[in-house]
Amino acid sequence: MSKDGSAHFFTTKLDAMINWGRKNSLWPLPFGTSCCGIEMMATFAADFDISRFGAEAMRFSPRQADLLIVAGIINLKMAPVLRTVYEQMSEPKWVISMGACASSGGIFNVYSVLQGIDTMIPVDVYVPGCPPSPEGVMHALLRLQEMVQKGETHSQRRLKAEGKEYALTAKA
Amino acid sequence: MDIRTQVSTNYGDMATKFADTWKSQVSRLQARFSTAIEEVRMPIEFPVDVPIVYVKKDSIIGVLSFLKTEQGFEYGFLADLTAIDESPAEPRFEIVYNLYSLTSKARIRVKVRLAEGEEISTAVPVWRGADWAEREIFDMFGVKFTGHPDLRRILMADRWEGHPLRKDYPLRGYQVFTDPDPINQSLLD
Repeated sequence: MSKDGSAHFFTTKLDAMINWGRKNSLWPLPFGTSCCGIEMMATFAADFDISRFGAEAMRFSPRQADLLIVAGIINLKMAPVLRTVYEQMSEPKWVISMGACASSGGIFNVYSVLQGIDTMIPVDVYVPGCPPSPEGVMHALLRLQEMVQKGETHSQRRLKAEGKEYALTAKA
Repeated sequence: MDIRTQVSTNYGDMATKFADTWKSQVSRLQARFSTAIEEVRMPIEFPVDVPIVYVKKDSIIGVLSFLKTEQGFEYGFLADLTAIDESPAEPRFEIVYNLYSLTSKARIRVKVRLAEGEEISTAVPVWRGADWAEREIFDMFGVKFTGHPDLRRILMADRWEGHPLRKDYPLRGYQVFTDPDPINQSLLD
């Protein structure tokens, strides 16, 4: 309603509006295990300022986060922990694999290292580099925002297939 | 250049500094333990930085506590305790004790040769800090230490099979577990 009492409307599709809200309020869980973690912290800090994209609310509890940024090497002893953390996050949830180690094991093709976290959890965006620059992480974030808007991410596709695309409306 | 030529190291010219100390210490060791000392490799004669004393398995604890407490030795600090898989050489394993003396600033290295399946006495009664080092050796090489208070894996998962730093363990012998490690009830209060 405007001041003179006339009705004002703005029409849009519900999923477009929900996804717009989702993509501009990503709450990351920083899963930093090695040098990529340092670059990730730089991305979060004032110089690069990830809050410009609405993703500055770091949550160290998986229950309160919807974006898992895996930054660094994941060894085989850590792999079940990573999977548990991912499973504890609330739907819909997104994963950025940051750096060569998280994406493929990197230079560590040995008995103790997981050869890419995509063998353990679904990954939406990969960031190349060893370690990637903060610009790379911001690019990945923008790419993820595009994917969230279009509903292209693993989590959104799975929820859609299960008919639970909108947790609020699907409760009935 | 002859590999035995003496060069400066990060520790300084230990071979000149401690030549007399080491010579008298080694002769005292040999007099005290006689046949238990299998072999001694001195710097300059051999391409080594500090004397290496090869000791028989059964007398290792005696030698270590002698080195730690005896007047004129006082190697009170176990700087490192590790192992080497020398296969296909026989006997296969070498357990390496790197000792450092906080009084004389000298270093010495004690080694024990171990065949596959042989056990060695734990050094925990001599140095409490040997505890985790021995656990790591057990984890990586499968060498067992008799009398160790808590001989469990320390780095690899409890469910891991095999010992990764053995020469016959495959470099890419991944063992991926997707479910969380079972909780070891015996470790809970």
